[in-house]
Amino acid sequence: MIKLHPWVKRVIVILVVLIIALVLAFRFFVEPPPPAVSVPPSVQLLESRLVGRKDGFRQWEIWAQSVLQTGDLVTLTDLDEITMFQDEEEYLFLDAQTAIWDRKQDILHLHESIVWDRDEGFYLESDVLIWDGNKETLTSPGPVFIVWEGLEINATEMILESRENLLYLRDDVQIRDGSMIWRTDSAVYDLDHERMDFYGSLVLEEGANE
Amino acid sequence: MKRGLTSLLVVAVVLGCGMGLVYAQGTVGTLEITGVPTDVAAGRYDREAGVFSADVTEIEGALITVKLEDVKILGKTMEWRTDDDYLVFTVDAKLTQADFELTGEQIEYFGEAKKLKSTGKVVVITEDSTVYADQLDYDEETDEAIFTGNVRVVFSDGVLEGEKFLMLLEKSELQFFGSFQGEFSDSDDKQ
Repeated sequence: MIKLHPWVKRVIVILVVLIIALVLAFRFFVEPPPPAVSVPPSVQLLESRLVGRKDGFRQWEIWAQSVLQTGDLVTLTDLDEITMFQDEEEYLFLDAQTAIWDRKQDILHLHESIVWDRDEGFYLESDVLIWDGNKETLTSPGPVFIVWEGLEINATEMILESRENLLYLRDDVQIRDGSMIWRTDSAVYDLDHERMDFYGSLVLEEGANE
Repeated sequence: MKRGLTSLLVVAVVLGCGMGLVYAQGTVGTLEITGVPTDVAAGRYDREAGVFSADVTEIEGALITVKLEDVKILGKTMEWRTDDDYLVFTVDAKLTQADFELTGEQIEYFGEAKKLKSTGKVVVITEDSTVYADQLDYDEETDEAIFTGNVRVVFSDGVLEGEKFLMLLEKSELQFFGSFQGEFSDSDDKQ
């Protein structure tokens, strides 16, 4: 039996205690580093032209100063003029603050939008517009103001069905046509044939000041 | 008899004041379609043709009403041609103003020509009399109202019957065409 000096014994005891303490600390208090997480690649482009197509045909075209793609969402800011196409022909023009395009759903959200048609005097204002590429509809889920060939239209909701050129107006619809003011629950306006169908109750004021 | 003629003049004056001013220029008129469910289209405006039409015959409790001050025209179907200001009401057509009421199978107003026509079981009810006829034609320009076909004027004290009856409102004249029959009770003559 080796006789150790009491001072050496103390050092050994202290070392053993320290080793046990370190093992316990690593075991219970220090987390292992997290495993690597895969982040979807995002792409940011500057001064870009984005074209939405359906069956190879252009549906819309946007010029934007900034394009950020994250997953299926493409966010466009600092937008220049947006052009909507119908049968490859320019159909409507839009100004918007931002646009978010869901590529998979083919849905384009436009914020603070103004829409117009250079030839026929179509003008539309809405806080939010949604272009559904599959259905080919332009929806305003909130209040909308439209001017169309002398008509002034206000409605709480609107859907423009571009294939049939039908304008669906819902809730508190008011249409001013010269000295006539129509107020109704909802209305459908056939833009090609200039025919309005009124749903529910209707009030027409005739002879009101223009 | 005198009382009967006075009553007819009252009819004539109401015709002149009420009907002739419907949709006169510069006035504010309203058209209302009530009682239509929100998922049913009852009215259509063809902007290209300038024609508004409405039909609520299939909707229970629904009604079309045109109002101009205290004149009201009601019906179940109507058409309004805005270009020449032509208005026609059919099915339960009725024109009312204060204590005056005109009903007919059809009520038409020709805004440009300033004429009103009612056909089919025409009935004009005033405070003092009721006039029945097949047709009523009112001309705002000449201020003439002509009742034709099975004309029957019923007062509280008697009845007048004939085929054609003309009211010249400006001249305060009444003209009876063809044979006319009248019956009035003595007791009312004394009044």
